[in-house]
Amino acid sequence: MSYFKSYKIKNKLGKYISTFIAVICFLIMIFPLYWMFTSSLKEETSIFASPPELFPLNPSLSAFTTQLSMTTFDIPRALLNSFLISGSTMIISAILSIMAAYGLARFKIRGFKIIIFLFLVSQMLPQIFTLIPNFIIFKKIGIYNTYWAPILSNCTLAIPFCVLMMRTYFIGIPKEIDEAARIDGCNSLQSFFRVMLPMCSGGVIVCFVFSFLFGYGDMVYSLTYVSDSTKWPVTTGIYNVVGRYGIEWSRSMAFGSMVVLPVVLIFIFMQKYIVAGLTNGSVKG
Amino acid sequence: MLKGISKGDRIGYLYILPALVFMSALMFYPIIYNFVISMQKVDVMTLLNPHKQFIWFDNYINIFKTKYLIHSIVKSFTFTIGCIIFQFSFGFLLAVLFNRENKVFKFMRAVMLVPYILPATVSAIVFKFIFSVNGGIANEFLQSIGVIEKPVEWLLHPETAMLSVIIANIWCGVPFNMILLSAGLANIPKDLYESAEIDGANAFQKFFAITVPSLKSSIEAVLVLGFVYTFRVFEIVYVMTNGGPVNGTEIMAILSYKTSFNNFNFAEGAAISNILFLILFIVGIFYSKMIKKDEVM
Repeated sequence: MSYFKSYKIKNKLGKYISTFIAVICFLIMIFPLYWMFTSSLKEETSIFASPPELFPLNPSLSAFTTQLSMTTFDIPRALLNSFLISGSTMIISAILSIMAAYGLARFKIRGFKIIIFLFLVSQMLPQIFTLIPNFIIFKKIGIYNTYWAPILSNCTLAIPFCVLMMRTYFIGIPKEIDEAARIDGCNSLQSFFRVMLPMCSGGVIVCFVFSFLFGYGDMVYSLTYVSDSTKWPVTTGIYNVVGRYGIEWSRSMAFGSMVVLPVVLIFIFMQKYIVAGLTNGSVKG
Repeated sequence: MLKGISKGDRIGYLYILPALVFMSALMFYPIIYNFVISMQKVDVMTLLNPHKQFIWFDNYINIFKTKYLIHSIVKSFTFTIGCIIFQFSFGFLLAVLFNRENKVFKFMRAVMLVPYILPATVSAIVFKFIFSVNGGIANEFLQSIGVIEKPVEWLLHPETAMLSVIIANIWCGVPFNMILLSAGLANIPKDLYESAEIDGANAFQKFFAITVPSLKSSIEAVLVLGFVYTFRVFEIVYVMTNGGPVNGTEIMAILSYKTSFNNFNFAEGAAISNILFLILFIVGIFYSKMIKKDEVM
């Protein structure tokens, strides 16, 4: 009896300790984000306060307004560019990769192993590896300095990820369902759109979310392929404005918060799909 | 049936073709082209010439002659190994701590994924702020707990700059490690732990006798993928330090980028990126062999 009692107390104590450590770890992980948001609400003088203000004592939006009225870089315009680039990346890569994933999951394909291997390898390639040849190719075919250069390059990142991830969704659906649809008179295209896609709607959303994020997060493609700064997305913009010229930290953090806001919104509404994509997409192909 | 490929299966190619053509044009052809460039003389003057002079392995010989390539390989491995050790341990710790059927814990675990989907450029700028000399919270915090006496110029010395970019990259990489390992943890049957408890095993014994062996394949995947994804990191380091100070954080991707787009020596830049590719390719083959083995089992 006493043994069980002490065991229970020990167990409870262990649980309190592990909860405490978990909360500390959680706070460490979200601290950089918290620090960015709160610093963006401070005046530049409070940034240098010692000891540092963990909560902004006199919160103000002045960093945002100064940064937005900056004449050297047009942030709303850059946000539109970002949405244009990531939206196009999303549409192109989702369509191409969902189709390819279906083909690879449902049909006997000669060279199947090589195709899967190629997608796996391209998912692992460093960006720098295609940056140099594509720089020359894009200049030659005349899409250098257009939106197409970053859009197409972002698709090369998103497509392998989406194909391999989406294939696991299609494989998860019993072949009999597909066959039953065919017997009922659907051709392969009809059964793809009417039966398979609705059944894999979760995977389809993951594809859209992740290819958007691939497009939104990119900085180096636009920096390298686009010399006209009015066509830059926000990521390239913040790199150029903050990284090169160095501006006040409160304004940098305000700029950063504006760049991050769409990602945070996507996270809030698409949380379930982001978790699914991360677990399914990266483990196996 | 025609050699195992039925007529119906031929339609399958039509589904795959668009993506395959796209990837061939923008990825597989450029990969081959990259090898060609690395054997030619390509600079600003000859960049768009239809016929470039072949100089074969001269570019490779040149880059090995300078001390920069070896230096960058060492930096790449330092960066990668430093990142992996800590992001794996911290990710593992988080996965274990947050392996609970509790709404609050699930919410916290989901929020911790945000660093992974943030644009790397922004994360880099936030960490540049955290490690800045004036107003940086890292110095303030370390001074207040007495670890350092006077402010450290984190990004102005090679060693501390490397430490700073590693910490920034760990922050971005931890969620990836955490989520893959917690997916593995969720698959371990609960009664294994219960029977171990009855046998009187303590938490450490349970961890090393049940948790680690059950997670073997997840751990392998996390480590290999972690290596690949970290070894090719570019933006975080480029934005935080641009490879400096005094080349202290000049990992291979950055050396290749600077050689190509700052010095306009595209051929040598391509040669450097080929060596980077070779290292990753070896790891990639190793990994695909490994998952094949797991699937058979």
